[in-house]
Amino acid sequence: MIVAEEITRVYRMGKVEVRALKGVSFTIAEGEFVGITGPSGSGKSTLLHILGLLDRPTTGKVLIGDRDVQRLSDRQQTLFRLKRLGYVFQDYALIPELTAIENVIVTSLARGLPEAEYLKRGVEVLREVGLGDRINHRQSELSGGEQQRVAIARAIVNKPSILLADEPCANLDSETSKSILDLFKQLNDDLNQTIVMVSHEKWHERYFCRIIDLKDGLINCMRECKVSR
Amino acid sequence: MLKNLKVASFLAFKQIQRGSKGTLFLTIMIIALVFVNLVFLPSIISGVIETFNAQSINFNYGNLIIEPREGDQYISDIETLQKKVERIPGIVGTSPRISTGVTYFYKGRDARSTLYGINPQDERSVTKIHEHMIRGAFLSAGDTDKILMGATLAGSEGEEGGGLPTLQGVQVGDSVEVAFPNGERRTFQVKGIYETQSIGVDTSAFTTTDAVAQVLGLSDQASEMLVKTSENGQEEMYRTRLLSYAIQQQVFTFRQKAAGFVDQAIQSFEIINAISTLVSLIIAVVVIFIVIFINTVNKRRQIGILKAIGIDKQIIINSYVLQVLFIATLGALAGFVLNAGVIYYLTVNPLVFPGGPVFPVVEPATVARSIASLFAVSVIAGYIPAWKTAREEILDAIQR
Repeated sequence: MIVAEEITRVYRMGKVEVRALKGVSFTIAEGEFVGITGPSGSGKSTLLHILGLLDRPTTGKVLIGDRDVQRLSDRQQTLFRLKRLGYVFQDYALIPELTAIENVIVTSLARGLPEAEYLKRGVEVLREVGLGDRINHRQSELSGGEQQRVAIARAIVNKPSILLADEPCANLDSETSKSILDLFKQLNDDLNQTIVMVSHEKWHERYFCRIIDLKDGLINCMRECKVSR
Repeated sequence: MLKNLKVASFLAFKQIQRGSKGTLFLTIMIIALVFVNLVFLPSIISGVIETFNAQSINFNYGNLIIEPREGDQYISDIETLQKKVERIPGIVGTSPRISTGVTYFYKGRDARSTLYGINPQDERSVTKIHEHMIRGAFLSAGDTDKILMGATLAGSEGEEGGGLPTLQGVQVGDSVEVAFPNGERRTFQVKGIYETQSIGVDTSAFTTTDAVAQVLGLSDQASEMLVKTSENGQEEMYRTRLLSYAIQQQVFTFRQKAAGFVDQAIQSFEIINAISTLVSLIIAVVVIFIVIFINTVNKRRQIGILKAIGIDKQIIINSYVLQVLFIATLGALAGFVLNAGVIYYLTVNPLVFPGGPVFPVVEPATVARSIASLFAVSVIAGYIPAWKTAREEILDAIQR
C-alpha cells in the first residue's frame, strides 16, 4: 500500500520558486493499476519521482507498506528501490553495452541472487514479455517496443511491490503502445502487480483501475475507471 | 562487499568488452609508454652507477686503496704491508703501485700523463687491465724497459685527443721516450696497448715497479696499494677490517676515491629522473582523468539510471576504478614488454659513456615502485571523475 500525505514539492530555479506539488494526498492499495494524468506541468512526473524515491518532497510524507520512505538515508533508499520498486522510463533507459538478458539481470546480481537463479528468472521474464528469442540482443538491435519490453522485464524481474512507469508509451506508436499496456494489464491481472503509471493519453485510461488527475500541482479529481478487485 | 564487487566487475567488464576498442588501446599504450619512461631512466642511472663502480674496481682502485699516511709521499716497507694485508681474511689480491707524472715523447709529439710502476703478477690479482689488451701483450716480471700504453694515450695517426693526452699513433714495438720529474729520461719499448674505456686509465701507461723505482731511487716503497676483496659491495666492512688489523696508512674504499665525480653525475641524473618521473605521472593522471571523465560525462544518464534502478553509487564508482585498474595493468604489462625490448637493444648496443659502456640495469625495486605509483595515480585519476558524476542527483543525471 502507498500512502501519500500532503506532499509538496518546491523547486528553485534561480530566484524563481516553482511549486510543482502543492499538497497531494491519496492512498493506493496493493494490486491497483493507477494512472496519474494531467496536462503538462501539472506535477505528474514529480509525483511519480517522489513515489519512486528518485526525489524527496519539500513537505509531506510517503508511506510504502507502512514505512516512511522519506526518512531513509540515500543508501537505504537505493536499497529500497532495488528490493521493492521497479521503474520503467519513458525512453527505455537500457544500458547500451548490455544485452537484453544482462540488462534484466543486473539488479538481481546486485541483490546477490545465485547466478543460476537470476539467469533462469531473467530468461523467464523475457519470455513473459515476449522476447524469448531476443535474449542476447543489444539495445541497438532491438525496436522501440522491444526495448521497452526489456525495460519492463528489468523492472519486474525481482517481483517488486510497486511498478512505476513514467509515460512508457510516449515514444511508441499506437500499436506498440497497446501491446505494452496489454502487458501491464496482464501483469496487473495475473500477478496482482501494483502499477502506478503516468500518462497523458486519454485512451490509456481504460487500462487503469483508478485515475489521479492532477492540475497545477493539486489533485483535480480521482475517479475509478474499472471495477477494482 | 563481495556482491558489490561482483556487480562492479560485471559492469566494468561489459564496458571494456563492448566499449570503444580504439580508445582502450590508445589509453593502454599511453600508460605503457609512461611505464617505460618510469623504468627506463632509472635503469640507465643504475647502469651508469654499476659501470662506474665496475670501472673503479677493475681498473682504477680495486675495492680498497691504501695510501701513505698524511704528510708522506710513499708507503714504506711495502713488502711487509703487502704480506700483512694478504693475510687478512677475504683479501684475495694486492697490487702496490708507484705513480708519477711524466712527459711522453714520440715522433716529435709529447703528452703529459701518469706512469704507473707495477708488479705485473700482483696487478693481475687485482685489476683486469690485462684482460683488455687490444694489441700486444701484458707486462711480465722482468720487463724493465717495456711499457703498456692506454689506447687514448697511444692514440691514432692524425687524431688529436680533444684535450686528452695523446701521442697520435703509437704502435706495439715502437719506442717512446719518457721524461721523469727528476729530469731523467728513459726510452721504453711499447709492449702492448690496452683499452678499458675508463678515461683516467686509458690516458696512462704502465711499466714495472723496478723500472720506475730505479729511476726515482725508491726501494720497497709505493705510492699506493690496491686491494681486491673476495666480494664486491662489502668495501666498508673490509675497510674496517683492515683498520682493525692495525694498518697505519690511510685506507679508502673505491667509492670514497671516486665519490666526487660519480656522485655529481648521479645527483644530476637523479634530478633529471625526478623531473621525468613527475612529468610521466602527470601525463598518466591527465590521460586517465580525461578518459574516465569523458566516459562518465557521456554516461551521466546511464549512471543516473543505474542508481534509479537500485545500483549503489559506490558500485558504479568501483566499476570505473576497476576499468582503470584493468587499463593500468595492461598498460604496465605492455610497458614491461616494451621496456624489455629497449633494454635488450641497449644491452646488445650499449650506450657509451665516458666511464665506459653502460648496460641498463632494471632493478626490481624500480619496477615495483613504478607499478605502485602508476596504479596509485591511475586509481585517483579514475576515482575522482567517477565519484563526481556518481554523486550527482538522480533526476539531474536522468533528465539531461
